[in-house]
Amino acid sequence: MLFVNLCMQGLLQGGIYALIAIGLTLVYGLLRILHVAHAGLYTLGGYIAVIVTNTTGSFSLGLMTSMLAVGLVGMVIYRLIYQPILDKPPFVALIASIGLFIALEEIYRIIFGPYGITFAAVPLQGAVNFAGTYLRECEIAAVLLATLLIAALTLFTKHSRIGIAWRATVTDPEMSQSFGVDVVKVRYLNFFIGSAMAAGAGSMVALMNNLVEPTMGSVPSYKALAIIVLGGLGNVRGTLIAALVIGIAETFGTIYLGDYLDRDSIAFAFLILVLMVKPTGLFAKG
Amino acid sequence: MGAKSLFKCFLPVAFTIALSALSALAMTDSPIKIGVNVPLTGFAASDGESALNGAKLAVDQINKAGGVDGRKLELVVYDDQASPKESVAIATKLIEKDKVAVGVSCSYSGATRAAAGVYQAAKIPYLSAYAIHPDITRAGDYVFRTSFVGEVQGRAGAKLVGDLLKKNRAVLITLNNDFGISLAAGFKEKAGEYGVTIVNEYTYSIKDRQFGPIVAKVKADKPDVIYATGYFFTAGPLVTQLRAAGVDATIIGQEGFDTQTFIDIAGTAAEGVIITTSLGRDSKSQETQDFIAQYEMMFNHKTDMVAASGHTAVKVAADAIKRAGTTDSAAVRDAIAATNLAASTGTISFNSLGEIIKDVQVQVVKDGQFHDFAVISDAKLLAPPTE
Amino acid sequence: MEYEISLLTIMGISIIGALSLNIIVGFCGQISLGHAAFLGMGAYTSAILTKMGVPFAAAVLAGMVVAAIFGILVGFASLRVRHDFLAITTMGVAFLFLGIVRKQEFLGGEMGIAMIPDPGLGKVGYMILVLLLALAVALFSIYLKRSWMGFTFDVVADDEDTATLIGIDVSSYKLIAFAIGTAFAGLAGALYAHHVKFIDPESFNFVESITVLSMVVIGGAGSVWGVIIAAAALSLFPMWFQFIDQYKLLVYGGLLCAIMLFSPDGLSGIFTRSLANIRGRESNASG
Repeated sequence: MLFVNLCMQGLLQGGIYALIAIGLTLVYGLLRILHVAHAGLYTLGGYIAVIVTNTTGSFSLGLMTSMLAVGLVGMVIYRLIYQPILDKPPFVALIASIGLFIALEEIYRIIFGPYGITFAAVPLQGAVNFAGTYLRECEIAAVLLATLLIAALTLFTKHSRIGIAWRATVTDPEMSQSFGVDVVKVRYLNFFIGSAMAAGAGSMVALMNNLVEPTMGSVPSYKALAIIVLGGLGNVRGTLIAALVIGIAETFGTIYLGDYLDRDSIAFAFLILVLMVKPTGLFAKG
Repeated sequence: MGAKSLFKCFLPVAFTIALSALSALAMTDSPIKIGVNVPLTGFAASDGESALNGAKLAVDQINKAGGVDGRKLELVVYDDQASPKESVAIATKLIEKDKVAVGVSCSYSGATRAAAGVYQAAKIPYLSAYAIHPDITRAGDYVFRTSFVGEVQGRAGAKLVGDLLKKNRAVLITLNNDFGISLAAGFKEKAGEYGVTIVNEYTYSIKDRQFGPIVAKVKADKPDVIYATGYFFTAGPLVTQLRAAGVDATIIGQEGFDTQTFIDIAGTAAEGVIITTSLGRDSKSQETQDFIAQYEMMFNHKTDMVAASGHTAVKVAADAIKRAGTTDSAAVRDAIAATNLAASTGTISFNSLGEIIKDVQVQVVKDGQFHDFAVISDAKLLAPPTE
Repeated sequence: MEYEISLLTIMGISIIGALSLNIIVGFCGQISLGHAAFLGMGAYTSAILTKMGVPFAAAVLAGMVVAAIFGILVGFASLRVRHDFLAITTMGVAFLFLGIVRKQEFLGGEMGIAMIPDPGLGKVGYMILVLLLALAVALFSIYLKRSWMGFTFDVVADDEDTATLIGIDVSSYKLIAFAIGTAFAGLAGALYAHHVKFIDPESFNFVESITVLSMVVIGGAGSVWGVIIAAAALSLFPMWFQFIDQYKLLVYGGLLCAIMLFSPDGLSGIFTRSLANIRGRESNASG
């Protein structure tokens, strides 16, 4: 039973990582930017979800507001920060993004205080026990949301016109532009969807921890980078698999490797091993 | 109109008096400066804010009561981001530029340990409010600590589990930093003596909020008590997740749990959690009662143990300067060493190393509040290290 | 004066650290997000050796050697992976270094190493030593940049494939850049350890790597003077902004972002552009 429980916890953790990392890999696939500040939007998602839930009493409203609002903030960040420096060397955008991330964390601390905020009445806290295994309701909700969002994303990119245009732009921006795709619109859409997914993850983590702190994004910010590299930068399916693999590896690592390595370096140890064998990640694109 | 003319009339007189007073008492009229290094930005900002608020309250109380020997207290505060690199420069600045009489650390271990060396070299007394690293007081005879060294509180935890609660199958969930590790070391040292068997120990990082794997393993271990080290932001989610998984073993925490935010996060799961700490919520002591009430009034936030520690450190400094009758650093040092003060964290004195000697308060969460559960005052068990 | 002395010492150490990264990033064009790990290796090696009684100079040298050995190992990684993959790999190295140090008893684990011996030079003597070493590293950097090897680095940084095509042994040059850069990082780390006299894993965390990298990028990658000025300014940043302590980090983050937006090639870019402007105006006037 321990084994099953650990697997479930690993998949749960992996699902959360996937929600964050997919947005990141979408941005990378399209713009070749390592968007560290993405984790700042994840934190913002958590804050908005808690605040809206506390004022209206409805978590689903909080979740939706959070995804919508953070999606828009993502678009603004693209316009103000990334668009002016798209043609510069990649580390320019990286440093700008890290600067933005530091500033965002400080803004949250100054506005919402250093202690973090909690739900007034936190929903979905009951647990479901089944044959020695258990999951909390909020954990089940998180897995459902992750599955739903990822499935919706897949359908959208496969079957809608704009989704197909999007995929074409990721594969070859110049070619798709010559076919009449509005690349700028695609970029905005990209940031909206990626940021909204991060906000969804932030809201669910807020619910599971019943705590949103200014520094909530600090671990996912760098771990998500490891995951998208492992998944082969810009590859959504690869990222999903890498996220689940890291989630499970960490879960078992925490229990069985705890004396030698701390949890946060497991992802990176795995990453370095893989890159030495396959320098372009597990699932290289094209 | 009346007040204004009166003011005009008195102004020259007041000015002359002030001037003569200034020339005669130039030294004694200036405020006594206490230097503070504290993390106001970055990851440690929440503890930094609490500790600094506690220190501010202490200064406010002392100044309202007429100051120290007629002189006001003044805090000189710099943000160290809990970084050793910053705190060395800050300590040097506080000593040399601001000429502080006493230094107080409202910061974490690394920053405090690095600054302690600077204070010791300059022979200015330095009080560590809540940093836990054992090497801090080893910097020398000018460095004191106004909170427990980790091992002592860990030993008290072992007595609480084995002697008071009569539990004997323990699992340790240890926060992997200086705080968690030194607490766990103290617990393990005395566990055998009180008949407590340690079934397993798990470690986690300060950034973890999801304890799924550990909880699953603990559930399989079936302990009857869990000794969990951590801060409110890790302990809140941990306790919630343990209870949700159906683990009903008694949970023992420490001063890191000691804030209302912990109960806000864990909600009903916090009920019955027992902690060892420095702040007795139902204490009869006037000092403690005043502290708890005035803190809430001044900052509109429930107080916590870190705030009480910042408060205590400033009170110890002020008390020592008062007894020394001077701000001469050697005299103040000797006065601190001879402290016997009823502070918000209990009646305290120091041993030869500068470690605090006081009782351990045991608190339990009942109806969403911390309440007194027991006091551990076994002098031999609680003896801090002397070298 | 002690305060100024302590600031100048930290400044000198920061300059050595930034110049060491500049050799890898600025000269050879290999991005590294894990430089703090090498500072850490130098610091830990020197701290442990001096505590065992090894003389200060020998311990610092050993710190440089250890850092350089690991630097060459990471250099090998740079032969396998490129660009953004290399950036994340080096970041991974930094996290792995911390993850391992945290769990090692003999490295002090989470508790770090306290009471690191004083080199016995006095505060002024130590400051002079640090500043002299910073000067030496700066002169070496300028020499390296103008040497034949410096030009080769340039070619590698510009376009590896072309470099290989014209017969440059790209792999060796990358390894050399990593070896020199990380050895100096080891030096900076060791000097830091003996200045602060306390080190723990957190002293060499990811934020430190980013701080060093931003010194290089803000100074203008490859420009020795730009990097020196940026390192000096950024190391004093927390002291300058003490009057707005609460907003210090916010300003810092905002500044990083703003400099990248308005002058992506850093200070040296601003300088070169304004110089070009003046020259342009002069030539217009004369012509």
